[in-house]
Amino acid sequence: MSAIDELCSELAKLPGIGRKTATRLTYFLLKQPPDEVVRLAAAIRSVSERIRPCSVCGNLGETDPCLICEDPRRDKELLCVVEEASDIGAIERTGEYRGLYHVLGGHLSPLDGIGPEDLRIEGLRARVANGCEVREVILATNPSMEGEVTATYVRGVLENAGVQVTRIALGLPVGGDLEYADGVTIAQALAARREMPR
Amino acid sequence: MRLASLTVRNFRNLASLDLELPPDGVVIIGDNGHGKTNLLEAVYYLVLFRSLRGAMDRELVRFGEAGFFIAGDASPRVTVGYEIHGRRKKVTANGKEIKRLSDAVGLVVAVVLSPADRSIVDGGPAGRRRYLDVLLSLSDATHLAALTDWKAAMKQRNAALKRGNASEAQAFDRPVAVAAAKVAARRHRWAVEWQSRFTELCTSMGERTAPGMVYSSRHWTPDGAAEGIQENLRLRIERDLRRGTTTVGPHRDDLLLTLGERDIRRFGSAGQQRTAAIALRLLEAQALSTSHDTAPIALFDDVFAELDQDRQERLLLLIKESLPGQAIITAPRDAEVPAALFERPRWRMVGGAIAR
Ligand SMILES: [Zn+2]
Repeated sequence: MSAIDELCSELAKLPGIGRKTATRLTYFLLKQPPDEVVRLAAAIRSVSERIRPCSVCGNLGETDPCLICEDPRRDKELLCVVEEASDIGAIERTGEYRGLYHVLGGHLSPLDGIGPEDLRIEGLRARVANGCEVREVILATNPSMEGEVTATYVRGVLENAGVQVTRIALGLPVGGDLEYADGVTIAQALAARREMPR
Repeated sequence: MRLASLTVRNFRNLASLDLELPPDGVVIIGDNGHGKTNLLEAVYYLVLFRSLRGAMDRELVRFGEAGFFIAGDASPRVTVGYEIHGRRKKVTANGKEIKRLSDAVGLVVAVVLSPADRSIVDGGPAGRRRYLDVLLSLSDATHLAALTDWKAAMKQRNAALKRGNASEAQAFDRPVAVAAAKVAARRHRWAVEWQSRFTELCTSMGERTAPGMVYSSRHWTPDGAAEGIQENLRLRIERDLRRGTTTVGPHRDDLLLTLGERDIRRFGSAGQQRTAAIALRLLEAQALSTSHDTAPIALFDDVFAELDQDRQERLLLLIKESLPGQAIITAPRDAEVPAALFERPRWRMVGGAIAR
């Protein structure tokens, strides 16, 4: 296999990149100045060498435990459960959440052979059980069918753990127009309505 | 609804057709095996984007070709192309690509009447459920969405059952039950709404024993919502685990057709079953006219030959009422088309081509 073919087939393994795009990217890289390409290669290499999952929460970072787990200013009574480490970034960018996280590493999907034992559910139970400070577990899995099912399953696992279990609210997007929302979203938003604060 | 023009490329034995269709429709005469039914199937492909006869898409491609293409102008102009390589299907409406197939289903509406329809009545429950689901999907987008949700949740639950994991399977009970209840409720409501019309149609076709139609569900009651199905899923988990599949839900239901309280499937004569099948198709036509505010295109696939004179005449009267729009009528010989339908232009089909 030529070097060009090799890079093409490596790139084609990336999500959302087909054979065509992989070829285009390869020829684009070939036209770049060598030091640019070396910088990209070095960045990829250092990510794979330096980044590892946090053994406590599953977040990705350069330290273990991660910076969030180690931060003394974080609220240790709150634990937010997400599917992927990338979800943490989305929540952190809001600056509204000061608690800790727990990454499941996906959602239940028997079709893909992913059961509870393949997710970090046992780790979550252990974290919540051992006389820890956690008072509330917020389930922030995706609002997809599998995400809902995973949230329901985790709630069952935490049934007797002595913590409050909550689910993030699902409903209308802020700044959106009711008229253009889909029926399922409107139904969810109606079901999750709340009393208005005075 | 009227189809003004139809283009077909490499679909079954139809290599290349470009047809302008008269507003009232057309009569197509041709020997069996020359492509009359394939032409009707091509038109109906624009309705559901899958084979009328349950064939796989790649089986529809003309031998030796890479794919097929069909375009029909029924305001909107709808096109669909399929490539064997990559199994790609592309649908457009008025020049704009439609990404989700479910958004394109029902843009064109047609009803097919064919001798094969008798299998809806004398065959197993699956054919009757399919009849209901197709017509409900065409008339109500939320039914197709509920069906899709239900099937997705069922696949996950069944995969967990096959892995032998009860708690994993039960985690999917709720989404299965919620979608299943919607599917069953809509089918049930439809049967209630149209049962008296079914009786009327069978009677108008000459049926003397009181015909009836009722949706029958073992694990569901009209007032039960999702909870009833969910409770049944819970109760039957052991059996489901043993069989490795979900045994509770609308995939076990049936649309019961009766004559004087007796099952037409088991006790009806061939003629009575044929009558019931035609009544179901006319019902479909009326239901779609109601939901779409226009009569569906009628596709008659050699239906008249097997009816006696009396039933033919009765059917023609009902067609005037239920399917007053455009009609494409096929028959092997001129003599098998009722004179009343012969005001339309007559085309001949030979070897997949139209000779006028
Ligand atoms: Zn951490």
